[in-house]
Amino acid sequence: MSAVATKPKQEGPTKTDYGTAIREAIFEEMESNSEMICLGEDIGILGGAFQITDGLQAKYGNNRVVDMPISEAAIIGTATGAALNGKTCMVELQFIDFISCGFDQIVNMLATYHYRTAGEVNMPVVMRGPAGAYGGGALYHSQMNEGWFAHSPGIKIICASTPYDAKGLMKAALRDGNPVISYEIKQLYKDSKKAEVLPTEDYIVPLGKAAIRREGTDVTLVSYGNPVHFCAQAADLLEEKGVSAEVIDLRTVIPMDEETVLNSVAKTSRLVVVNEAPMTCGIAGEVIARVCDKGFDLLDAPPIRVTRRDTPVPWVKPLESYVLPSVEDIVNAALRVVKF
Amino acid sequence: MSSNSGTATADKDVKDRQKQAPMQTLRPRDALTREDCLELFKQLFLARYFDVRLIKEKKKGRLTGTLYSSHNQEAIIVGSLYGLRSNDWTSPIHRDMPGFFIKDMRAGWRNPNRMGMSIEEVCSQVWGKATSPGRARDNWSHIGSKAKHIIHSTSMLAGTIPAAAGVVFADRLNGGDAVVLTYNGEGSTAQGVFHEAINFAAVHKLPVITIIENNQWAFGTPTHLEYSLPDFARRADGYGIPGLIADGQDVFDVYDKVMTAVEHARSGNGPSIVECKTFRAYGHGDHDDTRAERYRPPEEVEAGRSRDPIAMCRKYLLEKGYLTKEEGAKYMAEGKDAGHAKDEDFPPEVVEYMNEGVEFAVKADLPKPEEGGMWVFYEGGNK
Repeated sequence: MSAVATKPKQEGPTKTDYGTAIREAIFEEMESNSEMICLGEDIGILGGAFQITDGLQAKYGNNRVVDMPISEAAIIGTATGAALNGKTCMVELQFIDFISCGFDQIVNMLATYHYRTAGEVNMPVVMRGPAGAYGGGALYHSQMNEGWFAHSPGIKIICASTPYDAKGLMKAALRDGNPVISYEIKQLYKDSKKAEVLPTEDYIVPLGKAAIRREGTDVTLVSYGNPVHFCAQAADLLEEKGVSAEVIDLRTVIPMDEETVLNSVAKTSRLVVVNEAPMTCGIAGEVIARVCDKGFDLLDAPPIRVTRRDTPVPWVKPLESYVLPSVEDIVNAALRVVKF
Repeated sequence: MSSNSGTATADKDVKDRQKQAPMQTLRPRDALTREDCLELFKQLFLARYFDVRLIKEKKKGRLTGTLYSSHNQEAIIVGSLYGLRSNDWTSPIHRDMPGFFIKDMRAGWRNPNRMGMSIEEVCSQVWGKATSPGRARDNWSHIGSKAKHIIHSTSMLAGTIPAAAGVVFADRLNGGDAVVLTYNGEGSTAQGVFHEAINFAAVHKLPVITIIENNQWAFGTPTHLEYSLPDFARRADGYGIPGLIADGQDVFDVYDKVMTAVEHARSGNGPSIVECKTFRAYGHGDHDDTRAERYRPPEEVEAGRSRDPIAMCRKYLLEKGYLTKEEGAKYMAEGKDAGHAKDEDFPPEVVEYMNEGVEFAVKADLPKPEEGGMWVFYEGGNK
């Protein structure tokens, strides 16, 4: 819920960063679900490239926390088989960029399993990995490739922007019973400024529910993941220019919470959608298409996409900045639709 | 290169191997009774008749869709399945259609509780009816059953080997001792996932037995353009696991080699590759039958078809004295394609069993159109 952003600051209780929130979710689900196993590269002895599973193998053993060979197809396929035989599987991709090595296993085996067995089999397999650019990770450590999987029916896609959501979405995903891919924003893993006090009791963030991060009346900014924070910064700048922006965090990309978006557009009549991935056939275009299908008459201006250019993500800072969406891009887009 | 020159050479390879490493005096087949051997013989007829009957049904206009023949490869299906325990898993492919109903057939052909599909279920799938285990959502062999321990096949050949590894990985976590047989053509062994999955299974000593139905042709490509080994089984050396070679025309040799691998796996020693040398009698699918007569040398085809698994089994049973000369002269199905084979060439119980499946499937309902939109997502989570 948007309550996270407005949670009162307290002295005392420890704040949890985004990466630790995910780690807590995995530990808690491993504890409560004895049928859960974790598969991935370097997740056991090393505790994961980003230490998300640090200590997990020591606690639950190498039968439930398995250091896998560098074989994404075998990792995802093994998880599929284990799920067929009753297990809940967490698969860590070392970087979400590497998910392409397991592509066929995801889109043709895993995603279709429930469908092609007419419901006999369901696949509780959560694939998660560090995603996103803005860190000089270059072509193969910067991707947001959720569009590939949004186009493959049978896969849910989540992308948290806050520690509260990161934990709650991960727990919901591990209990959902469907293949879920989680795009974890690696720039946020250890971001102490965005750390939050998390509930001590068990909670989930339901899949398919967006959050309104900031209320506004003039323009709706829809995003997910890292650009949600850019939208918040843009909203501050827009406010100085007398424009009131509403910021919506999809949180779950598939299935998409159309209702929250349409309700906001009904209020603002203007729409800008931001995604970090390339523009063509991306989620931003999909959001706009759905709004046009179901709420064209709500709009007073043509909606705008703010995305990465249709290029790979290059390495050095000037190049990277050139291709990625920025706060300035969002402000300019919002002003364009407002002034239309 | 010997690998594209058909079963005649394959035969020689097998014999050479046997000279180098003679079988132990007690072979798995030596524990089979006369009844077991006669049952294997009958199952070979059943697998052949399934194939013949579907071609006849299609010619009569009662069936549409592509058929992928297992003609001449039945000994691999029958011989590999016979020694499995009920709770063992299989992962069949398009050339193993009879394996869906032959699995666990020892528990009784019509036993509804056996861990294999009924002939009604398999025929329903062939005819695309709602009574198919997959409710006709994907075609031909793309069915399976979690309940009956058959991994659901897809078009992505070799793509189910990691799932097979995952199934037995989970079983072992639960304290089980099930093994899994995965079936693959020699063509799919060039897939990256084949390597990934067997490597992982070998590292964890998982009970995964990879059967290679080496029928010399991957659709239109001969083996010497697929891999560079005289015997594919030697690929196993690279994984540190046993690689066995079976004469895929000889149901008893397949049984011996697969059971050797199964016992090895069940004892905790890990995976094996069992290369069964055989020959694809016709086209890749029936759409390819005419073309296959052009792209394959006729002498190779003739040699490949000359060692019919039914004839070879018959010869063995006569030698063992399990069939009298009079019994051995009945049901001469071998060497006959669907155009020449008649129902009288098969034991009546085989024809009767298939009749039940066909009549059931022909009368069964199609799925409702709206089912096309169902079961994209599982709805029972987070409760």
